[in-house]
Amino acid sequence: MKTIVIDPITRLEGHGKISIFLDSKGDVENAYLQIPELRGFERFSEGRRAEDMPQITSRICGVCPVAHHLAATKALDDAFNVEPTSAAKKLRELLYCGYIIYDHILHFYFLGGPDFVVGPDAPPAQRNILGVIEKAGLEVGKEVIKHRAYGQKITAILGGKATHPVSGLPGGVSKGLSNDEVKEIKDMVKSCIDFAKFSLKLFDDIILNNKKYVDLILSDPYILKTYNMGLVDEKNKVNFYGGKIRVTDQEGKEFLKFDVKGYYKHIAEHVEEWSYMKFPYLKSIGWHGLKDGKDSGIYRVGPLGRLNASEGMATPLADKEYKRMFETLGKRPINSTLAFHWARLIELLYVTERAKELVDDPEITSTKIRNPVGEPGEGFGVVEAARGTLIHHYKLDKNGLIEKANLVVATTNNAGAITMSIRDAAKGLIKKGKVDDGLLNMVEMAFRAYDPCFACATHTLPGGMPFEVNIYDKNKKLYKNIKRL
Amino acid sequence: MKTIVLGIGNPILSDDGVGIHVAKQLKQHIKDPNVTIDEALTGGMNLLDLIIGFDKAILIDAVKMKNARTGDVKRFSISDMSTAHSCNPHDVSLAEALKMAERLGETHIPREIVIIGIMMNEMPCEFGEKLSETVAAAVPKAVEIVLSELGENLEISR
Repeated sequence: MKTIVIDPITRLEGHGKISIFLDSKGDVENAYLQIPELRGFERFSEGRRAEDMPQITSRICGVCPVAHHLAATKALDDAFNVEPTSAAKKLRELLYCGYIIYDHILHFYFLGGPDFVVGPDAPPAQRNILGVIEKAGLEVGKEVIKHRAYGQKITAILGGKATHPVSGLPGGVSKGLSNDEVKEIKDMVKSCIDFAKFSLKLFDDIILNNKKYVDLILSDPYILKTYNMGLVDEKNKVNFYGGKIRVTDQEGKEFLKFDVKGYYKHIAEHVEEWSYMKFPYLKSIGWHGLKDGKDSGIYRVGPLGRLNASEGMATPLADKEYKRMFETLGKRPINSTLAFHWARLIELLYVTERAKELVDDPEITSTKIRNPVGEPGEGFGVVEAARGTLIHHYKLDKNGLIEKANLVVATTNNAGAITMSIRDAAKGLIKKGKVDDGLLNMVEMAFRAYDPCFACATHTLPGGMPFEVNIYDKNKKLYKNIKRL
Repeated sequence: MKTIVLGIGNPILSDDGVGIHVAKQLKQHIKDPNVTIDEALTGGMNLLDLIIGFDKAILIDAVKMKNARTGDVKRFSISDMSTAHSCNPHDVSLAEALKMAERLGETHIPREIVIIGIMMNEMPCEFGEKLSETVAAAVPKAVEIVLSELGENLEISR
């Protein structure tokens, strides 16, 4: 058996690894993604003041602090038996819109998008923001930076701090909005709506008008027929801040809809000996290995998962774009992994429109921003992080200290799907032991579509990241090595 | 000349937070109006936002390197850190962010960016607020190196 190891996933060498196993014919049998799991969070939380959790959990990961902050805050609402005031909910959701705005912009223009905007065949050194600027123009680059900064500014105004918000409290928020701040946010949001529209137009011009790219999106290696999961409102429209968790099947029909309080009845986690990462699956279907289809409990979360698991967007322009995407790529659900990028831009438009609704609401300047808390108990909180469903679950003792904490994070929810996408991309490019030069690109594109976050990879210095494929022969001896520095 | 000293790391991920520990110590020593000391649990684009507008940036962080001895402290310049396509799955490298800022005509990029790395063999994956003994011993070394990097004219209270 030949083994191919790709070691690209984090700048921390040895932490994230893709291993591809070949069968005796030299074709891909299986692929594994190994990423580090940060250990000991449960023990770390034990005995801490529950009110500190929104600050502590926002430090778990440098990538999505706002999502952790709000999931924790919502879990505390529940644990302290308090319903936040109506104004507080709107302030939190507006904060959240700011986060999705900058996060989705970062992903599309800096990370995943360049594969498309610059081109999947372009040299890796060009598939970055600099390549995007070359292709789309300097002015576009400036707009990207401006609107990413707007998203962060909105988050900072509402959250009290730029990257790590401190405003969430059980029962509400610690900070309201002044009229001046409302005006400032209104101006930024207006500009963000135009930028989201522009980004969708750019996607049309560069990607959808290019048959080669559309063919790539619809090509076999990037098709995965899993279940889909996401939060929806009472009309089954995508919602980032709250609602019920909805799961749809391979025909796009509702399979499950549940409150986060029952998550452990519906989701279980499978453990593989080769990975620290756990693999969540739908309990009622069961774990049947890394495969897609109706009989496998694996599901997808994140932009495409959310759009598939819903029946539309709650704002008019985004809803129009939602319909157009499904009309263009075929019926629901869309199973093309690369459509995550398109879905992400539709969500960008949605959160900008939603931010406008919220900031235009007269209640947004209300000073009724917190309700008194009740007795401590057990609490569940859920939000849609940029990359998928995020659940926090705490048990508090009678003094309000953490007795038990469990988190189900977005990238973990996608673990099975990411692994399969990598395998399928590799399958198309390794035949009879012959490794196509495009392997690295295609595998990179497969996992990048999900915008995965690996906590360990978020903080160290800008270092060279080797992108490496090791091919081993059937005796697991090194046979070929492809490296990109 | 305005200088920013940034301790980088995750304060709840044991040795990973060493940069933050160094920054905290430095805050006690340095009372110079031209030196800003801050902490950051972030990278790439956010890091760029933090250092723009300063003449010099000194970044203190845990660095994993092959054959390095845990606890050694090394000085790098930003050019020693080669850029790569998507070093981090959800952020760009600082080098890439800097190139982009330059391309877009940003004129307030620090002229000098220095990295003080505390070497580690293994990156920590265990939550905790304390440093290991070996890495804790590197903190005063790193503090000294940053102080000498800041130069003689610095107002220091030791």
